[in-house]
Amino acid sequence: MTTLAAPTLRQVIGGFCVLAQKTAQTKLTYRLATLITLLASGFAYCVFLLVWNEVYRQNPHAGPLSREQMLGYLVIAFLVNALLILNVESRFLQRVRMGLVAVDLVRPLGFVFVQLAQATGDLLVNAIYAVPIYVVGLAFAGSALYPASWLAAVLGGVSVALAFLIGFGVSYLIVQASFVLQSGYGVLFARAALHQVFSGLSAPLVMFPAPLRRVAVWLPFRHEIETPVRLWLGQATLAEAPRLLLEQAAWGMGLVLTGELVFRAVMHRHQIQGG
Amino acid sequence: MAGTMVPAILAENLGKTYTRRKRKSGFWPGLRAYFSTESERFAAVTDLSFRVERGESVGLIGENGAGKSTTVKMLTGILVPSEGRIETLGVVPWRERRRLAQNMGVVFGQKPQILWDIPARESFRLLKVMYAIPDDVFRFTYDEAVERLELAEFIDTPVRLLSLGQRMRCDLAASLLHAPAVAFLDEPTIGLDVLVKERVREHLIEMRRRFGTTIVLTTHDLKDISATCERLLVLDRGRLLYDGSRQGFEERFAHGRTLLVDLGSEADAATRGALERDLADDDVTFTWDTPHRLRVECARSASAPKVTASVLEHLHVADLAVQGAELDAIVTRLYRTAKAPA
Repeated sequence: MTTLAAPTLRQVIGGFCVLAQKTAQTKLTYRLATLITLLASGFAYCVFLLVWNEVYRQNPHAGPLSREQMLGYLVIAFLVNALLILNVESRFLQRVRMGLVAVDLVRPLGFVFVQLAQATGDLLVNAIYAVPIYVVGLAFAGSALYPASWLAAVLGGVSVALAFLIGFGVSYLIVQASFVLQSGYGVLFARAALHQVFSGLSAPLVMFPAPLRRVAVWLPFRHEIETPVRLWLGQATLAEAPRLLLEQAAWGMGLVLTGELVFRAVMHRHQIQGG
Repeated sequence: MAGTMVPAILAENLGKTYTRRKRKSGFWPGLRAYFSTESERFAAVTDLSFRVERGESVGLIGENGAGKSTTVKMLTGILVPSEGRIETLGVVPWRERRRLAQNMGVVFGQKPQILWDIPARESFRLLKVMYAIPDDVFRFTYDEAVERLELAEFIDTPVRLLSLGQRMRCDLAASLLHAPAVAFLDEPTIGLDVLVKERVREHLIEMRRRFGTTIVLTTHDLKDISATCERLLVLDRGRLLYDGSRQGFEERFAHGRTLLVDLGSEADAATRGALERDLADDDVTFTWDTPHRLRVECARSASAPKVTASVLEHLHVADLAVQGAELDAIVTRLYRTAKAPA
């Protein structure tokens, strides 16, 4: 055996930052496509907000939240969701199908860091688009979008960062599935459905039927949307905050570590498509 | 850097077996196969042993499906071998992939290495940071690549807008920017025109001269091998058919020369018989590719002038060429022999 020079920590961090930046640059290449996606989903969400607005107009006590609380929740939920739309799976599924994953495996950053850096690049671009969403949201919900306090803003920000880690962790597991299945589209659609239902994107989980709520507690998805939104808006008490953040951190780390363990196992049996 | 005694590559009894699902053509058999878990084992590489010293330049050749790419993927840590022992630069590739990646360059001829949507120059900058390439090394490798591979014209164009040849040149430059200790080049000249191929070969030679890079070159263009490699590894159906010097290979497998004869008019059976009787005592083989095209393979013991004179005497020759013992011809013959029924 030998002492082959290994990548240094500084090199890994530097490589991570530049790769994130280049990924953002790449994503901005298709700004028109991104804008159209954003406008289309924004339109659908506006309709969704109008429907809830109408529900509350007809019945001001339609749910446990007030109309303002509900609209504030929905807009911030949409904002967090837009911020955390990562292209990890779509980028990777394409590469698996084309056999391009071989190239990712021979980078000194390591496979998980390459994926995480690219996801961070996605986040950077999403942050640019999040600003107009927030401004438009103010027209619907006004001051209901403001953080409950400075502390709530900080807790909400930390929670979004942890939600990013959870989102990445789930995506990273799907990436492993695509190694095994050669196409991870089935798993990807399953994840999208679970996320749509259990993250609290459509409505706060408190409005869900009890059985669904019980299932949601055992899944990571609520921590992707509902937890950061509740912390930002002060709908979660300060006493709840440490537990929620710890749960988020545990889910995030757990998912990424599980993904890494699965990756190591998968590497023993995977096949690169094409010559 | 690794100690001097550690070889660049060490493979002992290396094997890789794939499992693939059995699929049948046609709608109904395909539908049945959809619900079936029937699979088959397929050995891509079997009992492969060889050693490559630091600084060597080795050509890895073989027909399609011979196991070249699988071997390269095992050597680079992308695939885990099913059996045997493997070390690249003294480490087990799949176990220490990151460490190896830092010291290794790879080109997969059909897979883009650099970011698709941004100019190559941006990718090169990314690689400089990612591989922590010292400024002086980067200055040399970057300038050498830009000049030798003539990248200046399109280095600021997004990669997706480049031609295959331009992209391949960028890929090759990217893989050697960090002056790796070992470079695995899987068909780096695929799709390139002859002038660019020449440039690529010059670049490889220069990088090797300057940094002592060990090169493992997989290609179907044997001129790449002739220009850059002293040693050959020939694979056939996953097994090592030959391991040795290129010169030794030519001496061992070159049977002599081949006369390629184009006829002005078709030769009748009597004429053919007369020619064959005339050269019956010489070690030659006649192959009629078409009624107008004759290939005469002359063993080293046969007298080429005598064979040529006899051909000219008996046949109405429109054109005649003598093919020497070039690598292409030898390998073609070797593949034919390997394919011939026992």
